[in-house]
Order: sequence, then structure tokens, then C-alpha cells
Amino acid sequence: MIVVTGASKGLGRAICERLIEKNIDVFGLARNVEDVPFASMSCDVSSYESVKEVAQHLKKEGVKVSGLVNAAGIASMNLAVTTPQSVAQKIINTNLLGTIYCCQLIAPLMLRKKQGSIINFSTIAVALGLKGESIYAASKAGVEGFTRSFAREMADFNVRVNCIAPGPIDTSLLKGITPEQINKIVSQQIIPKQFKPDSVADLVELLIDSRSDSLSGQVLHVGGA
Amino acid sequence: MISKEEANEYVFSAIRKYVNCDVTESTLLLGSDIGINSMQLVELCLELEDKSLVFGFEFDWTSDAAMSRSRSMFRTAGSLAAEFISQMETKK
Repeated sequence: MIVVTGASKGLGRAICERLIEKNIDVFGLARNVEDVPFASMSCDVSSYESVKEVAQHLKKEGVKVSGLVNAAGIASMNLAVTTPQSVAQKIINTNLLGTIYCCQLIAPLMLRKKQGSIINFSTIAVALGLKGESIYAASKAGVEGFTRSFAREMADFNVRVNCIAPGPIDTSLLKGITPEQINKIVSQQIIPKQFKPDSVADLVELLIDSRSDSLSGQVLHVGGA
Repeated sequence: MISKEEANEYVFSAIRKYVNCDVTESTLLLGSDIGINSMQLVELCLELEDKSLVFGFEFDWTSDAAMSRSRSMFRTAGSLAAEFISQMETKK
């Protein structure tokens, strides 16, 4: 079973649909799972207790977790000096702490089997140092640092931890960003084109597969940076 | 539910699998030459968690409450056994 956060929409949803298409069992997490048509549970990843409830549920039900995809995330494209404190806090809580909480609490479900793959999400904004994304980039830079160290901690248990850092993928996360802004970012990628959620799902599929068992602690940039 | 003494002995016997010395209340678990490494510590916690279910409670080594006591909880064999017994008593 692969646990996927942010499963109700955007990249998370696309990843779930791809895995289901490939006959891989998925357990989706999202704050609102009313419209999620597969096994799921309500969870606010920024709440340690909420994630803990999920971990306890999975343990109680004897679910064999073999992977975790931390796709839940929020963005706010603003200059740091014009970003309200509450928004900055929310970005850090969801993107960074949410990823850490899920790893802390769900990874133990993989340790017994000594097998698993964890995929975190960063952004190309970290590598490119994009203007107007400083707080978002800071939260994701934290995710990258966490991924590299956590990968070493999990290596003894044969659990791999990697990070996917997409450019601007066509999802609801880009709501409010103009095509010009998107093109400007895309033009800075090594492969200057806007990728679709399918490209990210391809990478997820690869990273949870044993064919990528030589990869851990890596940040993979979709589009190249 | 087992007795405190039995639980204490169980924790000590679990620790003995990981160290090459006699285990006493004051045996250091971390930060010493005879200590166990971090991987073994996690394995020990998983083992204690599994066994606690057999004993009728769940040893929670990831809770905020347990973590806030973690420095003492993982410091010595005695402190780990005390935490295990404390959770067993609380969750009775």
C-alpha cells in the first residue's frame, strides 16, 4: 500500500490515479476526502496529531505500507516582505513540518519490513532561487535538506527517501499565476517546457519501484535545473 | 496484563540482545562504548512495541509525551524500562 498525501486534487490526485491504474494499492490523505473515490482518510498533515491518527489507523488495520508520497503542499507567490506572518507560518507548517510529520510517523510502518520508498516534494524554485517564492522556496529547501539526512537515517532499514522537484506543473497550485510568469520560470529550466502531472507520476512510479533501488537522498528536478 | 517486575525483566532481556555486557538499571543505551547504535535503538523500540501489544497495551515511542521525556527515556536501561512500565500502568 502506498500512502499519498494531498490526494484530493492536483499532483497528489494524479499520482494516486496513476498508481491505481497500475494496480498499486493507494491510501489517500487529504483534509477533505469527500470526493476521493479510493481508500482514503481525512488528515491535516500540518497537525502532528492528525498524522498520528492516520499512522495508528494503518497500524491497527494491519495495512502493509510500502511507500509514502508526500504530495500535500501549498504555495503563495508573494514577496517575503508582503507576505503576512500567518501565511508564512501556514506554508512552513504544511510543506515542511507536514512532510516531516508524515515521515516521522509513517516511516516506522515500513521499518519492520525493511523495505520501502518515501518520496517528498520540493520545487524547482529552490534550485533557481525564483523571485516572489522565497517563503515557499524556503519551506521546500527544508524538505530537500530533510530528505538527504532522513535518507541516511532510513538506509539501514532499506527504506529509500528521495525528492521530486517539479517546475510549474499544470495543476490548481498554479491558480493565480499568469501564463507570462509560468513561461518565465519554464524558460529557466534545462528543458524549457511546462510538464504535465503525468511526467511527475512517471517519476513517482519509478521511485517506488525496485528498479530504482540504487537511488536515495536524491533531488530530481522535473525539467532540469 | 503482566506484572511490573515481569515487564521490567522483559525490557532488560530485550536490551541484552543488543549489548555485549551485563545490563543494569544504569547501563547507558546511547553515547557510550557499550551503547547501542541508532538503528538498534529503533529495532529495540519496534520490538518493545510489538511485545506491548501482547501485554495488552501499546508502547508508544513516538508520542509527543514520550519524546519530551526522550532524553531520560533512552538514556539508560532503567529509564527505558521505567517508561515502558509507566505506559503499561497508564493504559491499563
